[in-house]
Amino acid sequence: MRDSLKMALTLLVIGAVCGGLLSVVNAITQPIIEKRSIEDLREAMGDFFPEMDAVEEREIDGEMYYEIFDAGGDFIGVVGEVTASGYGDEPIRYNLAVDSDGEVVGLRIDSHTETPGIGDIIEKEDFQSDIIGLSFDDPIALDQDVDTVSGATVTMRGMVSSIRRVVDTIGMEFLGLEVEVVEIDPADVDDGTYTGTGSGFADDVTVEVTVSGGEITDIVVVEHNDTQSYFEQAEAEMPGRIIEAQSLEVDTVTDATASSEGIIEAVNDALN
Amino acid sequence: MELNLAAIIFVAILANNILLHQFLGVCPYMGVTKRIETSVGMGMAVIFVMTIAAIITWVIYNFLLVPFDLGYLRTIAFILVISSLVQLVEIVLKKTNPTLFRALGIYLPLITTNCAILGVAILNVQADHNIIQTIVYGIAAAIGFTIALVIMAGIRERLDLVNMSSMLQGAGVTLITAGLISMAFMGFSGIMTL
Amino acid sequence: MTTISQVFTKGIIAENPVFRLLLGLCPVLAVTMTAINGFGMGIAALFVLLCSNIVVSLIRGVVPPRVRIPAFILIIATFVTIVDLVLNAFAPGLHEALGIFIPLIVVNCMIMGRAEAFARKNTVGRSIVDALGMGIGFTLALTVLGIVREILGMGTAFGVDITGAAFEPMALFASPPGAFIALGILLLVFNLIIKRLGFE
Repeated sequence: MRDSLKMALTLLVIGAVCGGLLSVVNAITQPIIEKRSIEDLREAMGDFFPEMDAVEEREIDGEMYYEIFDAGGDFIGVVGEVTASGYGDEPIRYNLAVDSDGEVVGLRIDSHTETPGIGDIIEKEDFQSDIIGLSFDDPIALDQDVDTVSGATVTMRGMVSSIRRVVDTIGMEFLGLEVEVVEIDPADVDDGTYTGTGSGFADDVTVEVTVSGGEITDIVVVEHNDTQSYFEQAEAEMPGRIIEAQSLEVDTVTDATASSEGIIEAVNDALN
Repeated sequence: MELNLAAIIFVAILANNILLHQFLGVCPYMGVTKRIETSVGMGMAVIFVMTIAAIITWVIYNFLLVPFDLGYLRTIAFILVISSLVQLVEIVLKKTNPTLFRALGIYLPLITTNCAILGVAILNVQADHNIIQTIVYGIAAAIGFTIALVIMAGIRERLDLVNMSSMLQGAGVTLITAGLISMAFMGFSGIMTL
Repeated sequence: MTTISQVFTKGIIAENPVFRLLLGLCPVLAVTMTAINGFGMGIAALFVLLCSNIVVSLIRGVVPPRVRIPAFILIIATFVTIVDLVLNAFAPGLHEALGIFIPLIVVNCMIMGRAEAFARKNTVGRSIVDALGMGIGFTLALTVLGIVREILGMGTAFGVDITGAAFEPMALFASPPGAFIALGILLLVFNLIIKRLGFE
């Protein structure tokens, strides 16, 4: 009895001392850690926008966007803390800075698990300089204004379509720009089945559109790489909405905005 | 972003194998892979303990440490939970299921210092998994561990019969073999991503 | 009774925790993609080992033998958490690179092993020397492996380009399989050296 009491007591004392020590260390380091992570963020933003003065956060589809204002309170740009899916098991995390004219002014890869020597091309100068300077109105697509690097196709495709998506999101949500959808009257389209692609959340979305008697009668998603649980919401709603309206001016599905827009873009592409 | 359970299973077992890709649990990997029989036993014990440990540490972290703002006690709390859990499992198994105890018993004490158990517990809270994802990830990671163990044991049983330099025998050749297996497993990356 | 210098040197060569005893291999393989990370990990483990050896040696005779293991775990986990917090506050880059392997120092068999096999039976002075020997041996092993992998995998050492443009880096050595293979080959080399120098 005395033995087990002594054992319990010893452990209790050691536990208390350790706990006390840790709470002291934590009290000292915690403010430093917090201050540093805020400073890191400000520094990262400041690299993109040196004249930054104030930042406002906003969450869109689960990703953080920071609106940047200068000392005069003028809006100068947006930095997105976003992800792309590449070849690695973890998503590529990166920051993309777009200025108030819709032009990409900065790209910083935060973390990635792409193959060393192949997929890490996205961290290299060549890729970065390809991306910087592109704007909302550019195609931002592989082989058009970004060079594909052989061997790293999966990484490149994931990254470029993600950048397109982020630029779209920033353009529409913050800059009031519109994705140019040339309104097509199905009546002008010959009967038949057409295939088209648009960019969804993670990658391209491909659809098959059937037109008969001057009306869109069927929209089938052939391929997509978005997160299934989100995409299926868009897939369930969007074709019906488009067919009912016989137009692409339809509401997107909340929570699956990027996937919905991908479908609209793909249908538009098919009809063109 | 919501994580797909199928992707978690695929990535944890093959593409991102806890042992061959993340290097968690290398000590038992070197230790118990001399024979297939022992490696299966160790694997079963790990599946058993890892799943329970993943659940308990998740509950403790989310319902005890986070609400009281004690996140910094994570390491200390997890390792205490895991080592007491192993002891408890040992006692309970001995009393209730002697057959299972005979099969797993000798591996249990080794598990406390198996960093895969603590590693999975920490990875779960770092990745903000919910309870279902935690359980699935725990089981899948343990299965991946077992597969890596058994493959290695199969190869090492053959290696014993090979004539080679005494300098390379044992750990040296085991590590190089592990490298080759790991390379094979790398072929699974990119098929599915989280 | 072994002399104090023997206590020190055995950890570096004859009983090197990595090359000879194969202890704590998880961080050895995981963080040695670059030399600086390997070195940082080694120093972090050295610090924890030193502190835990000192405390374990101080409280020897006070802690009842039957609860010594949980007591050691508590002590080690405390120092690991301190390292974790301090690195996060003052060396964020290293903290991120080492990631999960900082909390995992807690289950590094080397640290528990020294507490159990040495510190609880020896004076504080000898325990400090033992921890320094073992810790430096561990750090050396990690740094050497880090240098080898960084040169082969990226053509640099401690971030300095040393091979020049003519050398095409072998990405394999920067990836997980390369860690296993590089360590396997280093073990072979270390064994050869030990044999030639007649340490056994």
